[in-house]
Amino acid sequence: MLRAALLIAAKDLRQRIRDRSAIILAGLAPFALGAIFGMLLGGADAFHTRYAIADLDHGPLATAFTDQVLGSLVDAGIADVDTFDSEATATQAVRDGKASAAIVIPAGFSADVQAGRAAEMRVVGASGASVSAQIARSLVGRFADEITAVQVSLATVFELRGVPPDPAVIAEMAGRAAAVQAPIVVAETGADAREMDLRTFYAASMAILFLFFATQSGVLSLIGERRQGTLARLLAAPIPPWVVLLGKSLGGFATGLVAMVMLIAASTLLLGARWGPPLEVGVVVVAAVVAAMGISTLVTTFARTEDQAGGWNAITAMTLAILGGSFFPLSQGPEVMASLSLVTPHAWFLRALHDLAGAQTTLLDVLPSVGVLLAMGAVTGTIGLARARGLVAGR
Amino acid sequence: MAEETVILRCAGLRKRFGERLAVDGVGFTIASGETYGLLGPNGAGKTTTISMVCGLLRRDEGEVIVDGRGIDVGAAAAKAAIGYVPQDLAIYPDLTARENLRFFGRLYGLGGHELATRIGEVLEVIGLSDRAGERTEQFSGGMKRRLNIGIGLLHRPRLLVLDEPTVGVDPQSRNAILASVEQLSGEGMAILYTTHYMEEAERLCDRVGIIDEGRIRAEGTRRELVALVGQRDRVRLTASGNLGAAAAAAARLDGVAEASARDGAIDLIVTEARSLLPRLLETVAEAGVLVKSVEVVEPDLEAVFLHLTGKALRD
Repeated sequence: MLRAALLIAAKDLRQRIRDRSAIILAGLAPFALGAIFGMLLGGADAFHTRYAIADLDHGPLATAFTDQVLGSLVDAGIADVDTFDSEATATQAVRDGKASAAIVIPAGFSADVQAGRAAEMRVVGASGASVSAQIARSLVGRFADEITAVQVSLATVFELRGVPPDPAVIAEMAGRAAAVQAPIVVAETGADAREMDLRTFYAASMAILFLFFATQSGVLSLIGERRQGTLARLLAAPIPPWVVLLGKSLGGFATGLVAMVMLIAASTLLLGARWGPPLEVGVVVVAAVVAAMGISTLVTTFARTEDQAGGWNAITAMTLAILGGSFFPLSQGPEVMASLSLVTPHAWFLRALHDLAGAQTTLLDVLPSVGVLLAMGAVTGTIGLARARGLVAGR
Repeated sequence: MAEETVILRCAGLRKRFGERLAVDGVGFTIASGETYGLLGPNGAGKTTTISMVCGLLRRDEGEVIVDGRGIDVGAAAAKAAIGYVPQDLAIYPDLTARENLRFFGRLYGLGGHELATRIGEVLEVIGLSDRAGERTEQFSGGMKRRLNIGIGLLHRPRLLVLDEPTVGVDPQSRNAILASVEQLSGEGMAILYTTHYMEEAERLCDRVGIIDEGRIRAEGTRRELVALVGQRDRVRLTASGNLGAAAAAAARLDGVAEASARDGAIDLIVTEARSLLPRLLETVAEAGVLVKSVEVVEPDLEAVFLHLTGKALRD
C-alpha cells in the first residue's frame, strides 16, 4: 500500500515540476521577493557611509569630536571620514556625491565653548542620503548635549557649595569633560547574537510564505483530479481509498520540501544567505513543511473548487505571514504583534532560524520551535485529512 | 448461462441521494465474452449503477460479485478484476501517453518487463504507438478517448466497464472504439457498456438492459426486447411482373403475417425478416417476379424504449 502511495506522490511531484506556474509560485517568486527585500533592506546589515569633516578649530573639543565620536564610527566600520581644510571643499565633496554629509567645526569653536559663548557646528547633508545626514546631525547634537549636561552639572555643584558659578570655569571644565574618553562604549555584537542577517531573514520569510502554495498542492490536487475524472480511476484501482489520500499528502509534503531545499540552496549560493548548520536547519524545515501542509490541507478542505481553494490558501498564507513577522522583524513592532505571532508557524520557523544563527546553538535549542511546528501540522493536518476523507469515501 | 462463466453478478442495487432514488433494485449478470449494454437516457442511473459495480460508490442495498469476489468501496483486491473506463477523459494531460499507462499499470501491480510489454501491446491496440511519447494535452479528442480505454485494458481485466466511451468523439474514432470493443469481447472479456446511443447497443451488445429512472425496465437480447414490444419486421420488395400472384404466394409462407402488392412493390409484414428473406425471395421468383431491391425495416431498441417508457432515448 505504501508503494501505491509513493507512486501517487511521485506522479504528483512530477506534475508539479512540469507545471511552470507552480515552479514560479513555489520557487522563483519567493526567491525573487527574498532577493528584492534583502537588497532593499539587507543593506542595513552592512550600513556604511562617508563623511567629510572640516576642522577649522583644531581645539581640544574639535579634536575630541573627530577622534572619539567620528573615530568610533570608523573603528566600527560604519563610516569613513575624509578631512578637508575648508568648509567650501567639504561642502563641495557632498555636492559631488563623494560624502553623505559634511560636518564643519568653525575656527574658535573650542574657545567659544570654554568661554561660555555661543558656538555652533554645522552639518550639510547630501540629498538622497537622509539617513547618513540624520546620523551626522544626531552625532553633533549628542556631542553638544553632553557638553551642556556637564555645564549644568557643574553649575549645580557650585550652587550647592554656595560658590557663585563662574561661566568661564564651568565651560572650560565641560570642554575638558567632553574631551575625556567615554567610560562606557557600545560594542558591536558578535557572532553569538541570535539573529539572522536581513538577507537570510527575508529569504526565510519568503520561503515559509510561499511554502503554503507548494504544500497546498496535496489535497488541492484531489479536487483537481475529481474535476478531470482521474480521481474515479484512482479509486477504482485495487488500493484502499486512504492510500490515495496518503499519496496526495506525501506529494504535497515532497513538493514543499523540494521547494524549500531549492530556495535554501539558491539563496545561499546567489544571495549569500546564512541559514545555519545543515542538520538543524533540515529538521526545522521539515517541521515547517509539516505545519504548512497541515494548515493548507485544512483550508483546502473547505473549498469546493481549485480556484476557491487557491484563493483561500493565498489569503491564509498572507495573513499568517503578516502576523508571523515575515515582512518585518517582530522586534520592530508593538508587543501585541509578538504575542499574536505565536499562533503562526512563520514566527516559530523564523524564531528557530534566529536561534540557529547563534554560534553555539544546537538542535536542543530549536526543539521547542520544532515541537510547536510539528504540533501545528499534526492538529490541523489531522482535522484536514479527516475532512478530506469525504473526497475519497465513495458516498 | 453456466455459473462458472459468470464474471459479474449484481443484484438488488439501490442508491439514494437525498430524496432522489437514483438506482432502484438493479440487477444483472454478465458472462465471459459477453457484452452487456445498459441503455438509457442521461440521468437514468447508468453511471450510478456502474459506480457501485466498480466500488466507487457505497450502495444502500444489494450486492456486487466480480469474478467470485464481493465488491465494495474498500474491497481493494477484488477491484483488480475490473477495468474501468469512466465517461470523463480520466487521463493526465501533462503526462505522456506512455507515462499515463505506466502510472496506472503500476497502480494495478504491473511492473518491469511485464508492464513494458503490456504498454506496447495496448498502445498498438489503441493505435497510439507512434504518439506514445507526447503529452496527452496535445492529443485530439478521439486519441484521448482511445487512451482512456487503453488504460482500462492494461491489466487484462476480467470485466471491462465502459461508461459512455464514445461521447463527443468523431465518427472515425467512434468506429475504431466500437471495433476495439468487439475485438475484446471476441477475446473472451466480459464487458459492461453503458450508452444512450441505440445504434451502439444494437451493434455491440449481446444483451441489453433498458434502464430508466433507476430501474431496469426490460432485459434480453435485441430480438427478445423487440419481441416484448410485439412489433414485426416490414419488408418491401420493389419488383416487376405479376406482383399480385407473388404476394399471394408469399402470404402462404410461415412467418408472413401480411402480404400485399401495390405501387410496383410487394409489402410484407413478417415475424423475422432476416431468417425468412431467402425463402421469400425464392418464392416470389418462382411466381415470375423480378426483384429489383429489398428493404427491411426492423423495429429497433429506440422503439422498445419508447414502448416501455413512453419517451425517446434522447429525451
